[in-house]
Amino acid sequence: MKMSNSPLEDGNPKTDEKYRHIYVIIEHFEGQVVPVSLEMLGEARRLMDDFNQKYDSTEKVVAVVLGSNVRTLCEELVTFGADCVIYANHEELKYPRNDIDTRLIAQIAKDTQLIKEISPEYQNTFARPRYMFFAADNIGRHLSSTVLAELESGLASDINKLVISDLDIRHEHKTKGKTVRYEKILEMYRPDFSGFLWTTILCLDNKNPEILREYHPQGCSIIPGAFKPIERDSSRKGSVIEYSPERYQDSKIKILNRKVVKKTIDYDTGKVIVSFGRGIRDSPENNIKMIEELAQTLGAEIGITLPLSKKPYQLSQNLDSKYMIPDRVIGTSGNKVAPRLYVAIGLSGAVQHIAGMKESEVVISINTDENSPIIDESDIFISGRLEEVVPVLIEQLKKEFNTISMRSN
Amino acid sequence: MLNVAVIIKLEPDFSEGNVSYNSDGTLNRAETKNILGPHSAVACNAAFYCKVRYDAHVSIGTMGPPIAETALKQAQILSDAEELNLYSDRMFAGADTLATAEVLKNGIEKMFGGNKIDIVFSGHRASDGETGQTGPQTAWKLGYTFLGNVIDFEIDLDRKVVVAKRMISLQGMDTIIEEIESPFPVFITIDPSYKSNFNTVSQRLTANSFGKEARKHSEESGQYLKIYDGKALELDPKLVGLPGSPTIVYRVEKIPRAKANRKAEIVDPSNPNNLAPVTEKIIQISRGK
Repeated sequence: MKMSNSPLEDGNPKTDEKYRHIYVIIEHFEGQVVPVSLEMLGEARRLMDDFNQKYDSTEKVVAVVLGSNVRTLCEELVTFGADCVIYANHEELKYPRNDIDTRLIAQIAKDTQLIKEISPEYQNTFARPRYMFFAADNIGRHLSSTVLAELESGLASDINKLVISDLDIRHEHKTKGKTVRYEKILEMYRPDFSGFLWTTILCLDNKNPEILREYHPQGCSIIPGAFKPIERDSSRKGSVIEYSPERYQDSKIKILNRKVVKKTIDYDTGKVIVSFGRGIRDSPENNIKMIEELAQTLGAEIGITLPLSKKPYQLSQNLDSKYMIPDRVIGTSGNKVAPRLYVAIGLSGAVQHIAGMKESEVVISINTDENSPIIDESDIFISGRLEEVVPVLIEQLKKEFNTISMRSN
Repeated sequence: MLNVAVIIKLEPDFSEGNVSYNSDGTLNRAETKNILGPHSAVACNAAFYCKVRYDAHVSIGTMGPPIAETALKQAQILSDAEELNLYSDRMFAGADTLATAEVLKNGIEKMFGGNKIDIVFSGHRASDGETGQTGPQTAWKLGYTFLGNVIDFEIDLDRKVVVAKRMISLQGMDTIIEEIESPFPVFITIDPSYKSNFNTVSQRLTANSFGKEARKHSEESGQYLKIYDGKALELDPKLVGLPGSPTIVYRVEKIPRAKANRKAEIVDPSNPNNLAPVTEKIIQISRGK
């Protein structure tokens, strides 16, 4: 059932005809597509397959890739779900730089010549993409912000679930309190900072006659690891289009030097990860030192829960800057890990934390509360205070390890 | 003269003893006090560094309710700012990042009587909203060059450029440290790992004396405070608050508890002997068996 009382759609062309396709902004590094980009393409493909059935069979998944020597990546993007790849190839684009990348992507999003090649039937009506996906990482988080600021539309960050649907909206400002049907709206789900709440963000045109305004594309940044890529299908067909603007504006950002640094925190190669949460609160400094000792005994890397990255304790500078940092967070908005052993100390197991550690082979948790969700993801649950349990474990482990090393001597 | 601005935010105080969680694990906002956010504090440290090293003038801005004045005061202690600006108006309420950036842009343009700001600092992201979008969107609206994830920086006053190090860490890839250079004006979001280092005795002495001054100034922070409403900022009401926000929060729901994937064996540690099999298991795994 279609309601046509929206004042926006009185004019021509209709909103719905001006905005088309999902544009996915691809990231790559040293000649490799970053995994999150393939994950975004996978989700875009799934959403678009449904969209094609439900609404319109002509809309497409469009991948956008900037760089130097990126032509070779384009076919790969097709095999992972893109119907069409737009690439810009230039020495100036070798490394991501926010200013030129933003301008270029905004140009691509509005370019009608490109649309003529992607879908000639829309060349006279197309204004902008309907949806736009970016990665919620060090590059995409900022790039999405500046691109959507340039396009003056809405953006939701750190998304881990997406649904396209028609919604009846009643909103003080968007609809002036009347119920209005919005079609093909992207419901963007983001887990909040506590890890216990899910917030759905919508990017909606203002249909209130006093502040009429269209907001497209509906943009989001997507958490790495949240979605699965589709299986590579080398028989998939897609078009590859080069975008070559008349001139590239110079970037104000000069890259003087780039070097690879060794990761100081390594969750990939180790066998054991020891993580802690707010359960350390009775004596944070001492408890962290104790957990440090346990980790050293096991040759383990240390992880934390999201709330601890917000620096809830007064700690010595040394422990604070070493451990209470976003880089150590295990969970949806941090690292996903899969060690052979995960020791969860004084953490309750918010959904967002579980998502980051559930692939661990064996999970041992230490917690005073047998109702904590972490019990559902534990093989062994030690029901007690960490202050009492951890020292015993350290003592027993040291004794065992000493015996072992004496035997092997 | 180097003009530096810092954009800060009043956020829930997540420190133990002050933060209050509901029994379902969600934040109890009514019971939780608000303070200067920790990432905003790092941005203030960066501005203070500019003051000590480059004799910068510092202006702090925040959008929020009148209570956000407390965050400005805390920011002044960290940065010894000459100017505190509160952008406060009912019409700003409910703003998403784009509508917030519109207010901050106009606010920054009015700092120091409209004198151009050379460098703006903001935090990595807010502790509650956590989008990390407002900084770069404000930068773009201002037309400033945006530098994100900055872990360290120096300024060349003669050439009017910032030389910065930034960290790029992408999923499954090596971490890169990039050294970059950009002419003023720039907008920097500072990484949480940033630490200002005062390497010489004279720098440390200057830092100490500015630090003392800062505490003194903050006791009279009212003298430094300017409050702007939408009109004073010459804002278009259609571009701020709810009318200027493309996005809305449609729904907030509890994330359903995941199905139990494992059946935990429960161990009672009151007798240390009960822990021996656990120790045994840990050793087996860590030795690769």
